[in-house]
This record gives sequence, C-alpha cells and structure tokens, in this order.
Amino acid sequence: MQPHIKRAFTLLAIAIIVFIVIRSLVVPDSFGQYGWYRGDSVVDNRNFPVEYAGSASCGEENCHKTLYSIWEDSRHKTVNCETCHGPSEKHVSNVRIMPQPANESRDFCGLCHFRQTARPEDFSQIDPETHGQNLRCAYCHNPHKPWFV
Amino acid sequence: MTEGLIWGYVYPNEAEVQWSILIVLYPYITGLVAGAFIASSLYHVFGKKEIKPVARFALLTALAFLLVATMPLVAHLGHPERGVQIMFTPHLTSAMSGFGYIYSFYLIVVVLEIWLSFREDIVKKALSSRGLKELLYSGLALFSYDISERALHEDEKLARRLAIIGIPSAAFLHGYVGFIFGGIKANPWWSTPLMPIIFLMSAIVSGIALLILLYIVAMKIRRHAIDHSCLYSLAQYLWVFLIFDVVLELLEVVSMKYESLEEIEIINILLSEKIATTFYGVQLTLGIFVPFVLLLLVGIMKNHDTLKTIMIAVSSTLVVIGVFAMRWNVVIGGQEISKSLSGTLTYVPVFFGMEGVLPAVVIFTIPFIILLVLTYILPPWKDMEEATE
Repeated sequence: MQPHIKRAFTLLAIAIIVFIVIRSLVVPDSFGQYGWYRGDSVVDNRNFPVEYAGSASCGEENCHKTLYSIWEDSRHKTVNCETCHGPSEKHVSNVRIMPQPANESRDFCGLCHFRQTARPEDFSQIDPETHGQNLRCAYCHNPHKPWFV
Repeated sequence: MTEGLIWGYVYPNEAEVQWSILIVLYPYITGLVAGAFIASSLYHVFGKKEIKPVARFALLTALAFLLVATMPLVAHLGHPERGVQIMFTPHLTSAMSGFGYIYSFYLIVVVLEIWLSFREDIVKKALSSRGLKELLYSGLALFSYDISERALHEDEKLARRLAIIGIPSAAFLHGYVGFIFGGIKANPWWSTPLMPIIFLMSAIVSGIALLILLYIVAMKIRRHAIDHSCLYSLAQYLWVFLIFDVVLELLEVVSMKYESLEEIEIINILLSEKIATTFYGVQLTLGIFVPFVLLLLVGIMKNHDTLKTIMIAVSSTLVVIGVFAMRWNVVIGGQEISKSLSGTLTYVPVFFGMEGVLPAVVIFTIPFIILLVLTYILPPWKDMEEATE
C-alpha cells in the first residue's frame, strides 16, 4: 500500500477510535440497564419530592368532604382537585401551609372548553369571542358542579 | 386561526403540521448530493469519457451539499446539541436512527474520493507554494508527496473501488430517506415500498440538473466555452432518468387510484384540492413534461448549439424546481391529510423563526458558498476547460 494511502487510512482509524472513546465517555454507564434509556433516570425520578397529594386526600379526614362529594358526582370528576388548585402535598401534611389560589382565569378554562375542530362535537365548547362577555367563567358556572349555572 | 385551515375530522395531535419546510429541504438536499455523486461516477466507474469535464466538479458539488444535509434536521430539532445522540445510542429497530452512520460512511467515501482525484493537484500546489498556503496543501496531502506514475495509478484504482462502494451508499443514503417515508404505515400518501426508488430517481434527476446548471454558470462566469459533448451527454442522462422518475411517480398514483382502497377519497381530495397546483402543475408539467419535451428536442436537433444550451438550461432549472415541488408534495402533502382519512389540514409556512422560510433559504445558500470555497482550494476548472481549448 502506498504511504499516503496508509496515512489516510490511519487518520480514518484515529477518527473512528476517537469517536468510540468519546462515545464511551458520553454514554452513561447505566444506559441499557432496563431498556433503551439511562437506568439511573429511574432513580432520579423516584427521588423527586412528591408535590401532588391526589384528589382522594381532599375528601379524607373530614376536611373538604361536602365539596368533595359534590365534585365526585359532577361532570368534572375526571379533573383532579389539584389541576385547578395546584400541587397540595405540603398543605395535606400541614394545613397551615396554604396551596396557591385556584386558577380561575378564562384562558385556563379555555384550555379544555374553547372551541376546537379537533374536539368531539358533544364536548362542551364555547367561542370565547361571543360567549360570556369576557366574564370569568366561575361568575356563572360552578367549577365543582359545572352544569349548575 | 386554525379553524379555517382544518376541514372534516382530524385528530387533535394533527392540528399542527410538525414537519415543516425544513423537512422538505432535507430530502431535497440529500437528493442533490446523491444525484451529483452518481453523475460523477458515470465517469469514475462507468468510464463515460464525455462526462470527464464535470466529474471532479460533481464530486465537489456532492460534498458541498452533503456538508449541509444535516442542517435542516438539526435546525428542526429544537435541541440541536442532542442531534449527535443518534450516533451514540442508535436504536436498532428504528430506521431513522441509522441516519448518522449512513451519513458518516457516505461522507468518508466522498471525502476520500475527492482527495484521491485531487491529490496530484494538491501535491503540486504544496510543492510550489510557500507559507500558509504550503501548510494548507501539505496538510491536505498528508505530508506525503509521492505523485509518481505508479502512485497515481494506485490512487486511480482505489478511487474507482471507492466509487463502486459510493454508488450503493449514495443510493442507500437517499433510498433510506424514501424508506423512512415509505415505512410510515399510518399515512396512505407515504406508505409504499416504491418510495425509496421514487426518491432515488428524483434525486438522480435533480442532481444531474443541478450539475448542468452549475456547469453552465461556472463556464459563463469564467468566460470559457462550454464543452457541448459533455453537456449533451448530461442532458441525455437527465432525459433517461426523467423517464424512470415519471414512470415510478405515476405508477404510484395510478395504482393507488386503480386499487381504490379506503384511503382513495382523501387522496383524491389531496390531489384535487390541497396539492393540485404543486403536483399537476409544478411537479408533473413544469418539472417533468416540459423538460422531457425540451430535452427530446435537444436530442433530435442538429447544430444550433446556443439554442440547445438554452433549452438544456431551462429544462434543468425546471427539473430542479420540479423536484423541490415533489419533495413538498410528499412531505407537506402527507401531513395535509388526516390519519382519520376523513379530514384535511393546511400547512401555512411562516417566514421568520426556526422553522421558517428564511432559515430554509439561508441553509440552501450555504452549499453554494461552500462550493465556492472548495473550488477555490481545489480548482476543478482544468478538466472543464482543457476539452474546449
């Protein structure tokens, strides 16, 4: 083999080796432990502090039992308390720590209820331009029992 | 705002067209690469002497476009720094994850091929220049200056072998892009095993057309006569590949219409309303039919070299535009029909922003700048000009 061709292929070999070395340094050790992802990410996720207590905890201990039972029968029963009221784990473990106030802006309700062609027709949707004169939705609708106007 | 752009029933996750003009540009650029490379191998592998004037220029063109082929994808990613992950941990069941390796392999082949075919010039320049220029060319020559008859013969042999590997890898690089679209079974406009070959044929067509245009422009700028036998030969190949291209493209649509499976209604709406202009008008009429007739006339006509050159230039321009329309019709067209098969969407390109027309235009100008720099460092003009001297 000619010396210049040898040099070219040596250079190529070096490039490939450098790539392999960088790859071995960059790819985390735990990659592939459980599947095609970094195994340690499972531990990372598990170690995140729990922020949400879950709707059931609002109805327990006689705290918000009445409101809970109204909500439980309403069309909004699939929307968790903390969807509007924010993460409440701290509040559940210590009632003195209040959760953030519920988000009751028009745009927030609109995330689900502003008209969109892609939504099923029988799903409650409104045109924000013509419906409700720009009032807050909760002015007329009770969010815990939305059919109750 | 999305109201007027949607018709019928579409799924919520389709409401926004995700693969934008940048994803149209990506197969277009890789197509130009594959086409230019295959044009150069007509000389390097198949020994078509009449292509010699543009053979090395075609390689440089292929490299210039290859270097930016990843740019539209990286710009589209949103997290460009993660792009390299596809090479670090490629998932073996994903066709898309093969991209990094297929691309790199092809890049190595093209760079080696260029290096071998320009080595004599590089060494001569290294020996005859001083200072930084000497360092640049010596570096490019890998500090090995053997240009004896035997060494050059060895180079030629290796270059030929590389070109033989290069053709299937060029075909693979682009056929693979087609495979990705062809393998999306949920989308009737994409899902066909013909897709890789359709992509490949249109790639060859666009690459040859681009090469013809660049050749004519380069010769005009350098105020040098065009080698007509080379130009006519390229035009002839363009014509032949146009036939393959149109046959495959029509075969797909005709068999879809003939089979009339459940998706035919939405395909009819797509073809008659959504992409009617770009499909029938630009892709088929302007991009294939008109160049086909013009190139046929070029083949029949005797003399009239200037007129024939103009006709070839016009055909090539139309082909390059037509193939872009073809990529558009595939990428955007496929997303303008809902997977529910009973609704359509409309893609409205934005001008500014990461996914806009402006970045697409910028990305598409970069290969021409790279080509300018490459031809400055490795001038291919000698072959192009000696034939007509």
